[in-house]
Amino acid sequence: MSTTVDEDGPNFQGFRRADGRVGVRNHLALVSTVALANRVVELAASRYDASRPAGDDRVLLIRGEFQRGLQSTDAQLQDDIVFRLITHPNVGAAVVLCHDRAAARIWRERLAVLGNAIQVLAFMDAHGVERMIERTVKVLSEQAEFVRTQRRSSCPWSSLTFALECGGSDASSAVCVNPAVGRFVDHAVACGVRVIVSETAEFIGGESVVRQQSVSDEIAQSILARIEVTESRMAANGDRYRGVNPTAENIEAGLTTLVEKTMGALCKIGSARFKSCLDFGQPPAGAGLHFMDTPFFSPCSITGMVAAGAQVTLFSMGVFNPSGNPLSPTIKICGNPETVSHWRDGIDVALVDLIEGRISLDSAGDLIYKAVQQVSEGRRTYTEAWGDGQFIIPRGLPAF
Amino acid sequence: MPRIALRVSPADNVVTLLDFHQHERVTQDGLSLTSEIPFGHKAALCAIREGEAIIKYGVPIGVATRSISTGEHVHVHNCR
Repeated sequence: MSTTVDEDGPNFQGFRRADGRVGVRNHLALVSTVALANRVVELAASRYDASRPAGDDRVLLIRGEFQRGLQSTDAQLQDDIVFRLITHPNVGAAVVLCHDRAAARIWRERLAVLGNAIQVLAFMDAHGVERMIERTVKVLSEQAEFVRTQRRSSCPWSSLTFALECGGSDASSAVCVNPAVGRFVDHAVACGVRVIVSETAEFIGGESVVRQQSVSDEIAQSILARIEVTESRMAANGDRYRGVNPTAENIEAGLTTLVEKTMGALCKIGSARFKSCLDFGQPPAGAGLHFMDTPFFSPCSITGMVAAGAQVTLFSMGVFNPSGNPLSPTIKICGNPETVSHWRDGIDVALVDLIEGRISLDSAGDLIYKAVQQVSEGRRTYTEAWGDGQFIIPRGLPAF
Repeated sequence: MPRIALRVSPADNVVTLLDFHQHERVTQDGLSLTSEIPFGHKAALCAIREGEAIIKYGVPIGVATRSISTGEHVHVHNCR
């Protein structure tokens, strides 16, 4: 695999942040901390974008179904995730819109200590919706000045964190794309990168892999415990997973056992070993592979990995899936010849040559490496071009 | 036209067929298939005795429930 290498390993051109982290993008973000402010940030972003100077990127909107009245653990998680998204290394500057003054005061205090370019506004400080939009657009223009002063410089690959995801899986993704991602992961881990894999339910049936590919028995047990909790929750809900998988449809597609089905997704991790078991959105402590306990819906699991600091997401597919994350460029990788020919405007790395036997898994891993290098240095992914992607935070309890 | 068959890990004793030319009986690596094998299904790379592990992705994904010959379709009828 080829790239610029010095004594610290391979390098790329990234944005160094005040806290030492590195971004692959320099977004001007507009954040709504509660769903009440979502419409105003949408209106302000489109007004700002319509008159922004040539050469500037569009404002990046960060908003979701963020609620009040959540029970304590859910409220804490929502608060932590929103904080981690605002302070994500791909954000160059941010404008944060809260609903009320008290919330704005708290967010301002929390964010001030970081020394990042973040301005916090309260909807209730404005006298009228139109004025609030005008005010937000004005502050965005001020923050954009700061964004424009930032430049890329040489940064080590070891400052990167990757999120691994798959969706629309079929035989081509199971035996071609995911193993190729696995080759890439082996190389990335050797460069000192952090890699996160998630979707706990997808690990049911992969327990032997977790035992074999964890750095210690303790780590393996902590991951296995999360898998067990997920499986017993499914059972309590009347859903049996083991015993009915592979399904009749899977068997028709050639999958013989549950381990085989699970491995189709798990082989993304290559030969790397799990170094830790993370909670949703929890940043990984060091280089290597990390497991994150998340729901399996990809926009939600990716939100967790991005909140944990992942600057780039690798998304393997068999049939097309539009999912991505607005904050972390999402690289769509596909080997299915039919999908690649029908979805040319949605796939970043086509591995048809791999499925058709013209290139090896190692060469495919190399193609992924090159794409990651280019995307990290600014090449736009299709999900970025379409502005696709969501922020979804899981909830364990009913809201009050 | 030879069939496209992929061995994911060097340790595997099966390959996965990745084309739709089921009437063809030889893979691009010269493995002779004993029957028509659909897209996404597996074929044995060597003789596998009853009770031996079926290895794919470099890990045991199941056990042969009867002896399997080289080039034979490996699925729920002979693997569990």
